Amino acid sequence: MLNINFPKIDKKTFNDLELSLAEEKIKINIRGKNKDFFTKVGKITSIILPTEANTSSSNEKFNALWLSPDEWIIYFDGKDTNKVINNLFNEISKLNFGAITDISDHWVCINIKGRKTFDLLSSSSPFNFNSFKKSKNNVAQTVLNHTDVIIHHKEVDDVNLFVRRSFAEDLWLWINDSARFL
Amino acid sequence: MPNYRVKKTDYVDQTNRISFKFDGKTYFGFKGDTLASALLSNGIHLVGRSFKYHRPRGIMTCGSEEPNAICQINPGTDLTEPNVRATEIELYEGLEASSQNCWPNVNFDIGGINNFISPFIPAGFYYKTFMWPKSFWKNIYEPLIRKSAGLGKSPTLPDPDLYDHKHIHCDILVIGGGISGIIAAKIAAKSGSNTILIDDKNTLGGSTIFQNNENFKINDEISKDWLFKEIEELKKLKNLTIKTRTSVAAYHSYNYLLAKENLTDHLSKNNKTSNIRQRLWKIRSNKVIIASGAIERPLVFNNNDRPGIILASSVNKYLNFYGVICGENNFVFTNNDSAYETALSLFEKGIQIKIIDIRKKTNSKIVKRVEKLGIDIYWNSTVTNTFGYRKLNSIEIMNLSEDGSNVIGKKIKAKCDCLAVSGGWTPMVHMHTQSGGKLNFRESDQVFLPKELDSEHISVGSCNGDFELDDIIKNTNEKVKSLLNLKETEFEKTYVSCTKELDKRNIWLLPNKITLGKTKSFIDFQNDSTAKDIKLALREGFRSIEHVKRYTTTGMATDQGKLSNMHALGIISETAGVKMGTLGTTTFRPPFTPLTFGAIVGRNVGQFFDITRRTSIHEWHIKNNAKFENVGQWKRPWYYPKENENMHQAVQRESKAARDSAGILDASTLGKIDIQGSDASEFLNRVYTNAWSKLAIGKCRYGLMLNEDGMVYDDGVTTRLGDNHFLMTTTTGGAANVLSKLEDYLQTEWPELDVFLTSVTDQYSTVSICGPNSKKILIKLFPSVNFNDDDFTHMSFKNSTINNINCRIMRISFTGELSYEINIEAKYGKSLWEKCIEAGKDFNITPYGTETMHLLRAEKGFIIVGQDTDGTMTPIDLQMDWIVSKKKYDFIGKRSLYRSDTIREDRKQLVGLLTEDPKEILEEGAQIVSNISKKPVEMLGHVTSSYFSPNLNKSIALAVVRNGKKMKGQKLLVPMENKNINVIVSDSIFLDKENKRLNA
Amino acid sequence: MFIINCPYCGERDQSEFTAGGEAHIERPKQPTELSDDEWAEFLFMRKNIKGVQFERWNHAHGCRKWFNVVRDTTNDKIHAVYKMGEKPSID
Repeated sequence: MLNINFPKIDKKTFNDLELSLAEEKIKINIRGKNKDFFTKVGKITSIILPTEANTSSSNEKFNALWLSPDEWIIYFDGKDTNKVINNLFNEISKLNFGAITDISDHWVCINIKGRKTFDLLSSSSPFNFNSFKKSKNNVAQTVLNHTDVIIHHKEVDDVNLFVRRSFAEDLWLWINDSARFL
Repeated sequence: MPNYRVKKTDYVDQTNRISFKFDGKTYFGFKGDTLASALLSNGIHLVGRSFKYHRPRGIMTCGSEEPNAICQINPGTDLTEPNVRATEIELYEGLEASSQNCWPNVNFDIGGINNFISPFIPAGFYYKTFMWPKSFWKNIYEPLIRKSAGLGKSPTLPDPDLYDHKHIHCDILVIGGGISGIIAAKIAAKSGSNTILIDDKNTLGGSTIFQNNENFKINDEISKDWLFKEIEELKKLKNLTIKTRTSVAAYHSYNYLLAKENLTDHLSKNNKTSNIRQRLWKIRSNKVIIASGAIERPLVFNNNDRPGIILASSVNKYLNFYGVICGENNFVFTNNDSAYETALSLFEKGIQIKIIDIRKKTNSKIVKRVEKLGIDIYWNSTVTNTFGYRKLNSIEIMNLSEDGSNVIGKKIKAKCDCLAVSGGWTPMVHMHTQSGGKLNFRESDQVFLPKELDSEHISVGSCNGDFELDDIIKNTNEKVKSLLNLKETEFEKTYVSCTKELDKRNIWLLPNKITLGKTKSFIDFQNDSTAKDIKLALREGFRSIEHVKRYTTTGMATDQGKLSNMHALGIISETAGVKMGTLGTTTFRPPFTPLTFGAIVGRNVGQFFDITRRTSIHEWHIKNNAKFENVGQWKRPWYYPKENENMHQAVQRESKAARDSAGILDASTLGKIDIQGSDASEFLNRVYTNAWSKLAIGKCRYGLMLNEDGMVYDDGVTTRLGDNHFLMTTTTGGAANVLSKLEDYLQTEWPELDVFLTSVTDQYSTVSICGPNSKKILIKLFPSVNFNDDDFTHMSFKNSTINNINCRIMRISFTGELSYEINIEAKYGKSLWEKCIEAGKDFNITPYGTETMHLLRAEKGFIIVGQDTDGTMTPIDLQMDWIVSKKKYDFIGKRSLYRSDTIREDRKQLVGLLTEDPKEILEEGAQIVSNISKKPVEMLGHVTSSYFSPNLNKSIALAVVRNGKKMKGQKLLVPMENKNINVIVSDSIFLDKENKRLNA
Repeated sequence: MFIINCPYCGERDQSEFTAGGEAHIERPKQPTELSDDEWAEFLFMRKNIKGVQFERWNHAHGCRKWFNVVRDTTNDKIHAVYKMGEKPSID
């Protein structure tokens, strides 16, 4: 047996704030430009990739986040990596319609929720959350304490924060330290 | 002792007595006092010695412009802070402060002798005198000067306080909570804008909030009462955030401002309600309204620096805000009407007050009122001298000549222990100019005013040159209205009645019977520069204000010349006969007031000093006593000492084990880029120096990447996973830059290529096992994989599983040993590593760190980009011609490889170095020469890598040496501090040139 | 710290971007045909204007796209941003 180890992230509760690891999740980076690409993605995931900048779309299983005009992340709860990724890879990468890359372990998902969520993020991100926080399904790629993050505004005052695995523990400790001062 | 607290006010709670210490003595003040007002209430004026002449100095102002009363707070403790203005620090129980720049104490200061030899220390004295002999500077002059100069003492203990940063975005930021700032904030917030109002004091209202004078009424109420009600209303507004005790330190472009909020500096140790001392707000505002006010100007006359000479508005504030008088025999010395308010306040309290006015006569409303009350006014007069060593005791008054250039008539000597001076007002244009704004000069009262060009920010109130109450309200209203595109506000019909100034007269340097050389007319109080110094600078040929400033050090102290800059300009203008408006000003640079280092760095201290990246195996490394090395932001195991091993011993053991049996390395930090698309191999052809089209699926190849200038940029192994699918590895430190560079070429130069790049650095953990027994370990781990050398060749990979988890086994080597790398999803990294350690137990598998890795590869002559190269090395310089394709038409950097400079034969080239004494280890970075006796010694190159090789039992080094390729076998010298080391140029491959070990 | 209006993501703080030097210097299609001087012109020569300058920027911590910026180097005022291959519309 090989054991699974995630970065050391324990659930923490502060006033109006709850922080926790939101794993395990499958995350797939998908790149593509042409019509066939969008059709294939739609067929396999039943999701329409958002084309509007800084937004996301979701269905019962999948969340698709806009990253750039030809790049998205699809993420969902689960472990059956092979099936969806292989489907996408065989139908898109192999046929040269785009690129499918498994990045489930490249990013770690941290969930932050509560009334002070955006207060917390503002302590070390230059991003303007004023309108971002007003509606869900917004997505931002920005920096938090000089670390690259992707922020998905999933529900009201409830965000999934994606950080690269190697940075995760450091950012986690930083976020906890920030939360003390809210 | 007389009681200087003469009045009850709204802002000092005289039921709440507070004890504090100054220079070791205990005093009492009240809640609401500043250290300065508390000292004054105890009759303490002398609080410091001046910088150069060590003259006694007293409290001169009541705000951030204070030049003299700068103290060391909490001396000798870990909370100590130097250069704190006594006028800004709020009194709390247990506060300790001491004066600075004096020894043994403020009342008897040995440096005071400088005052008497001052004719010999004019401006530029240090520059001129301590030039010769040169050798004296370091050992004699500098230590001496440093000992007697300097302000406070830097803390020597770690700062126990916490500091924080926070970003905030708003529609309107109002800087300054005086009357105009309050009007502006109210209009903005009520119009629906998300507004922030910032003020550096603990109370809003500026100077109007204590303007208790019948001559100033708004809507028939005394101005202070009207404003008080406005503030109460303001506090109720929903979309307004008020931040007091917060000062704007810097105003950058695009309305990006830094403001420091003091959260606990006013509280005693036991009462600190926040665990953060200061918070630095990083504010981004759509529009900014600057209402930073104006600072009163002192007057420049002989001995104008004695304790007891205080700005008139400050005397007024000490009385009306803090309830404290600064003396019993008061004189107001002024050139304008505003100081008459001070005179009236003192008079009303029954305190003796007389007025000296340099103007010939004026008949404004407030002056008439003063005359009517019978207060003496000396018209057309000036103070020519002052007396009293530790505190002012008398002054000398004379009449001015018609043109003001001289004094005439009889000297009048008068008893005076408080001289309230006013030389007019200087608008605080710092914020405006920091943001990039330019200035206009207004001749009538000689002020620089904001020149507004864009709609990003406006200045209102006295910082915009409005000094009369009615103008302030009317113009603030109009400007804010137009900034916010409003039709109407509640302040349209505000009715103001106030006195108006009718006459002005300004003399920058007041005349005297004594020649200038013998007077002490201070301009910059903190840096002790006088009018004489400015004139000397001009005589010596300095013209630019920036040069005069640096030569005389005027305006270069911690107060940044808030009180002195205008006088320096004025005197230059008068002396050189140049109009002030054309002289310009010196540059106003942030911070407006000094910032603590704590506020600047925030929480990025200690464990958060820099970001750290950890591999998935990090925890194992810690448990197994790894010492870590920082590689970029990564924490990489450096070596794993056992018991009492030092680094050298550990590395020797690890290196030997890796070549004798098996070593294991965490290689997860290498950058990894997933490359897909139908043009992937063509893309690699263009970015690497060698050819890629024919690389078979399942094979790996080493690649060297150049910059367009032909210099080596990065290297790594790339694997072909499929027809159109590659996995590139980069150096650990280069990963982000390589990806960005490759994206750059794809997006800008070759958009026609169908290629997608995705970083997967963190997706996989990489475990590298090397050594003659590595294969046996791999066979144990992967029993189903065929590891036969003809089936699983060097530079190829196989997919496999371990306990049903997918992984990729690559046979590649950075040590020259038989070696395998296993890539697995990062969440299984630690578990896989533990399995490898377990499987390798019988073979003495030895974890090794970066130091051993570096040693092993150096034995084999493999380069490390960034260590053996420095951005000036071509592949040819590195003797790696074999990797540069001759057939390819183009690749990044190809054309540069045959520029006249890169084909020079005498370039620095990578060679090996062996020391004559095989035990001698060279220092990395050491210079290499051939002839030490011929001066100047010609430098041929330097050592780039150096180790003691346990496998060869001798010292080895890599070096770059001019024309090194042709020097093989030649003797060179590495000169060190105590000896010269003899070395011989050798081949750069020290071990196993035949690559036998790769297939052991 | 200025704000750059990324043509893909919108207005973002400067700290999300990296600068890439002068814009519109095309890499020669046939470098081998060039003389040393011609190649050096491409490789080394930059205008470094005091005033309005055409620059390349990368939204490195966002969408990773490269694009062009017209910036006044004396006051950081940005007059236009536009995608690679497009022409600027300057106000």
